[in-house]
Amino acid sequence: MNVARHVAWRSALRSRAYATAAYVPPASLEGLQRARAPPPKPKPESPTFYTGRANYYDQLLALETATKHTRTALQELQLLPLPKFARENLPPLRPVWKNKVDLAELMDANLTTSRYRRFLSQLNQLNEYRRLAEIAGHVQLAERIQHVLDVFERDNKEAILARGKRKPVKFDEFGRSYTIGRRKESTARVWVIAAQPSPEDEPVASSSVSSEAAASSAPVSSTPAMGISGFTQGPLSLAPAPVKVPTTNILVNNIPLAEYFPHVSDRERIVRPFRVAGLIGAFNVFALVRGGGSTGQSGAVCLGIAKALAAHVPDSEPLLRKAKLLKRDPRMVERKKTGRAKARKAYTWVKR
Amino acid sequence: MATSLARSLAASAARSVRRTRLSTSTAAQVRHSSFARVEEKPLETVDDWTNFQLKRAEYQTLIDTFSEYGSTQTRNNTFQPHHSLHRPVAPSDITLSALIASGAHFGHSQKRMNPNFVPYAYGVRAGITIIDLDHTLPLLRRAAQVVRGVAAGGGSVVFVGTRSDLRPAVRLAAERMGKQGYHVGERWLPGTLTNRVQMFGPEVAGDEQVIPDLVVFLNPIPNIHAVRECALEHVPTIGIVDSNVDPRVVMYPIPANDESTRTAELIAGLLSVAGREGVAIYQEEQAKAAARAAKRPPRY
Repeated sequence: MNVARHVAWRSALRSRAYATAAYVPPASLEGLQRARAPPPKPKPESPTFYTGRANYYDQLLALETATKHTRTALQELQLLPLPKFARENLPPLRPVWKNKVDLAELMDANLTTSRYRRFLSQLNQLNEYRRLAEIAGHVQLAERIQHVLDVFERDNKEAILARGKRKPVKFDEFGRSYTIGRRKESTARVWVIAAQPSPEDEPVASSSVSSEAAASSAPVSSTPAMGISGFTQGPLSLAPAPVKVPTTNILVNNIPLAEYFPHVSDRERIVRPFRVAGLIGAFNVFALVRGGGSTGQSGAVCLGIAKALAAHVPDSEPLLRKAKLLKRDPRMVERKKTGRAKARKAYTWVKR
Repeated sequence: MATSLARSLAASAARSVRRTRLSTSTAAQVRHSSFARVEEKPLETVDDWTNFQLKRAEYQTLIDTFSEYGSTQTRNNTFQPHHSLHRPVAPSDITLSALIASGAHFGHSQKRMNPNFVPYAYGVRAGITIIDLDHTLPLLRRAAQVVRGVAAGGGSVVFVGTRSDLRPAVRLAAERMGKQGYHVGERWLPGTLTNRVQMFGPEVAGDEQVIPDLVVFLNPIPNIHAVRECALEHVPTIGIVDSNVDPRVVMYPIPANDESTRTAELIAGLLSVAGREGVAIYQEEQAKAAARAAKRPPRY
């Protein structure tokens, strides 16, 4: 048995590949045409390819580089590090960055909240440097930083920043203002135009120095500087002439004020803005009002007129504001509730 | 633009300082001048800000003029903490003292020592394993040779350092190697190499060479899955191994302190400098081959 195994081992030794392979001299292998290796595949472009989020990290790193360069520039300009007393005076920052979805679309990368917030913190840092450069008067540097940040700002940035601010009242080519006033259930659209002085008034002003005779021979509309008309003798002829106030109109739904609002309280409410501002007879008013009753409609017209006066004569705005005429009265009819007869009125309480 | 503005600012400040210096003695000037302190009143107009900047520039100029007298040590010829990042050591210039200065010889506690690490340990002191830098230095130079060789052959090298302090080191290392350098400063996503078709898409995985030719780990233990992926895809790895790690996890271990930022920056810088040399060699070879191909007569 040992002999058989020994013989088998010897035969196996003989059958090994290197022992039986033909001998090939190396010189004959020199000119051998081997199979050409396949052309090497191109390597990935981005250095952050192996993070799996190349687009995002490329953008983030570019932003970090920009921040670093800006920081160096500001340090050379002696603006950084900024002491506390200087930091307190800086105007507030109001950035309006793109939201997560838009930013992901811009970068062509999938954004999670944490990555989005990290990106925003970088943008905010750069925005702070931009503010510093701007306020110190380095316009070019601030513009270059803004150029970088513009890409990431929302398109409707101005609209968002203007929210909450009162839109300025516009005047058309004839000098009319258009304002809206509301009270209770009524809405009033009010057009206000400054009253033009009539051409008859001017000759009166120039001839006020001339003799009374010349003035009295003039047409009925002109009045002398001295004396009330109709009094040629006596003390009243020496009284100063009343100031000629041009007649202005207030039309509500194309109906004169006195006709539309028979109650004095409503008329007074409408005229009150003119009284407070001291501008009675200075403006003509045309209002279209809908909804509600007489109090609501007159209050709506009053608010519209007050807003228009504040636009025409900005100096009157503090007066109107003090008189609370520029505030839209928020009181509305309260709804009726279940279990009550009216909004507040309760049914008679029964003991049992 | 900003630098030229700064220079003009500093120049005007310097001129104003020099003018006053001629009239009074310098000591008196320093005593009476208000350069040292900027007034703490609020800055409203642009002129206020300009004056604020000029005052600071004056103070800086004063310091700079006086720096010429006294100590010869300046910011440029003394060690600054950012030098390990921005002034990498060449592989031929690395010394034991540089390694010790960066704290590469501190290992982990004796209790955590891996038995396979014993050949690279010098000993134990105060319960801490001290790594034998006489072994580290040649292994570091060997790793540098590997990086140079891979880069000279046109291979891609990925630097992996997934801690916040390692991020700038790997980024700069990859930048030094140009088109052949890549970096991973954040988390290594599992399946980057083994699941590349799903991760990068079939087009990219098929058209581009996704498998790198060498991966350098500055902190292999938190990225052990990445190390394993490289082994599965037959990618050679270099890694900084500490005393609690089996050195055989990576192909070319560098026994050193994995917790020290300066050590990691030193090693990453050294390897990237070697890689830069390799890239230069490769580009030279490419240029020569292109020249030869241009000179060769065209085949018919």
